[in-house]
Amino acid sequence: MNGISVDMNHLKKGEVNLGTSIMAVKFKDGVVLGADSRTTTGAFIANRVTDKLTQVHDKIWCCRSGSAADTQAVADIVTYHLQSYAAQNDKDPSTKVAASMFQELCYNNKDNLTAGIIVAGYDDKNGGEVYSIPLGGSLHKQDYAIAGSGSTYIYGLCQKNFKQDMTKDECVLFIKNSLAQAIKWDGSSGGVIRICILTKDGAERQIFFPDEYEADY
Amino acid sequence: MEQSPINWGRPRDDIYGHYSDAISQAPNTHSLPKKHTQQPTVTGSSVIGIKFDKGVIVAADTLASYGSLARFDNMDRLTQVGDSTIVGIGGDVSDMQYVQRLLEELEIEENYDNSGDQSLHSENIFNYLSKVYYNRRSKMDPLWNAVLVGGVDSKDEPFLSHVDLLGVTFSSPALATGFGAYLALPLLRQLVPYPDSYKNVTEADARAMVEKCMKVLFYRDARSIDKYDVATITKGNVKIEKDIKCKDQNWRFAEDIRGYGRTTS
Amino acid sequence: MSSIGTGYDLSNSVFSPDGRNFQVEYASKAVENGSTSIAIKCKDGVVFALEKIVTSKLLVPGANQRIQTVDKHIGVVYSGLVPDGRHMVSRGRSEAYNWRSTYKQAIPVDSFADRLGSYTQAYTLYNSVRPFGIATILGGVDEDGPHLFMIEPSGSFWGYHGAAAGKGRQTAKNELEKLDLPNISARDAVNEAARIIYLAHEDTKDKEFELEISWVSASETGGKHQHISAEHLAEAKKFAEQATSDEDDMEE
Repeated sequence: MNGISVDMNHLKKGEVNLGTSIMAVKFKDGVVLGADSRTTTGAFIANRVTDKLTQVHDKIWCCRSGSAADTQAVADIVTYHLQSYAAQNDKDPSTKVAASMFQELCYNNKDNLTAGIIVAGYDDKNGGEVYSIPLGGSLHKQDYAIAGSGSTYIYGLCQKNFKQDMTKDECVLFIKNSLAQAIKWDGSSGGVIRICILTKDGAERQIFFPDEYEADY
Repeated sequence: MEQSPINWGRPRDDIYGHYSDAISQAPNTHSLPKKHTQQPTVTGSSVIGIKFDKGVIVAADTLASYGSLARFDNMDRLTQVGDSTIVGIGGDVSDMQYVQRLLEELEIEENYDNSGDQSLHSENIFNYLSKVYYNRRSKMDPLWNAVLVGGVDSKDEPFLSHVDLLGVTFSSPALATGFGAYLALPLLRQLVPYPDSYKNVTEADARAMVEKCMKVLFYRDARSIDKYDVATITKGNVKIEKDIKCKDQNWRFAEDIRGYGRTTS
Repeated sequence: MSSIGTGYDLSNSVFSPDGRNFQVEYASKAVENGSTSIAIKCKDGVVFALEKIVTSKLLVPGANQRIQTVDKHIGVVYSGLVPDGRHMVSRGRSEAYNWRSTYKQAIPVDSFADRLGSYTQAYTLYNSVRPFGIATILGGVDEDGPHLFMIEPSGSFWGYHGAAAGKGRQTAKNELEKLDLPNISARDAVNEAARIIYLAHEDTKDKEFELEISWVSASETGGKHQHISAEHLAEAKKFAEQATSDEDDMEE
């Protein structure tokens, strides 16, 4: 059984699927998250301007793939726990703590969830960090992570183009070009490319429209 | 009200008629037992281990696959527990990480009331793991792994044992999980054909054979890569070497192979 | 005491008219009579030391350790009712364990102090329980460096450079204040801790005692809490005996 059909078989009948191309990349001053904006039910595009980049704390965000309902529920629960962590301990949670919370939920409920999540964040101690949590609920710290059905088309591209300690502009360009290819080859990915840049100064959102990123094809 | 444990709290069938799941929109939980048994998703491949005169070598490659996709190429699958044991885990990676957390907690609890002197020996760790795995399979919710525990036991003798998702355990001077059981074990057994044979095997001989096995596994296991970790445990010493590349690979002969036997061209 | 006979000292959940909780104050008496325990925050760690009165010659020397490990990186010692302390340690272990299982990382020392502080305080609120008859000294090394806290029976707790509780606390505090804290090295802190315990024991000289010392330090123990080795303990004892007898000489 290959990876993609595992994704599909988990979905309940009629469930909304984040077909998805998502990624997060560490760079010199933090981390950048990127995602397409297509949500499908079967072949029908239920939402063409979805926001798959979700904030769970000030400088900790996640990219969601799999079931829209499942990943929203999980993100909401983690958001709650991170708020309570910050209030109780008088300090912001680290990216690792956030990733561990996602992991614990995805692992303990693996039989009932279809959730492939990338957690990315910035904290003063560790700088930018990227964690990948694929279907079974394992946790993988990485320099960059790609996920979703479209990611399978860009493994080679990303490995070739990724560089350690890129500048912000280099990093955004890397994500834009990579996702453009994923969108081009994956029918379940499409729409606009949403970007979120996390640095010590907080979060900055960007968006690229098809006429902009398709120019790089 | 229904008093039987399975349908407790529902209207009684003999008074109110057959209970309708459709109307209540309740999940039909009473007709089927709860299902747990999953399938592995992100997986590690073989782990191999062999005893030699003064200790044990355990090796595993660093790949975590997602189906046939080589998803993560930097997965550490050998974990040190205490100061004389290595646990090598294949199969589901999320379950592996769960077991690693259990072992870390075991180590913490073991050190609660002693001043750093080691009391967790290989056989204790293995015994603990075998119970964890058998317990979970008995709940019909197995941890999807095959595990080798290698190290030095309380009598300073080399120790090597196997436990898997069913809670099945066995020991041998040479062990391998997954594809390794077919491809590596026959090679390892050339060195240690009998239970006591390891007493005549040097570390260098065992090491050379392990490297050969990892190369064969890379040649013939489609869920492997040519990068692996090796742990060598001897009395009072655990050495983990990371990211070793399969050396002396032989591909040149491919040049002389043309066609598939029908014609020569 | 003004409380006796008034009835206001019989229950935890009733204030006296002038706003005191006598049960908590009595608990503090239990602490004051307990054997001396101290802790020193040094450059990269914390050193714990304890004067353990030998109550019977039949007790095995070195057994019944009372400085305990709660997680890899945190140690706890206490003065007062020993069984209360044992319970506190057990509660501390489950707090540390629960933290690990939810956050997959070691509990920060300040959060740990907060948890045990809240737990202690809860035992001052209900008439079905009595407060803890101990002062809990806890310390450890986390990613922000070394930390040391002491929790009183009321549940209030503070961070310290050096903490002392039990019979000899006044002597100990005087000595702790003379040290250059927290710039002292862990090894020096072990010697000073031994000396201070020996000094604090002077008032109860007639009773035999055992010295117990543990440490957690980034450089010396790799951030793990453990008892010092037997040789190291012997060394510290020698230093303490030397130092205390010198002091006697000067007085003469």
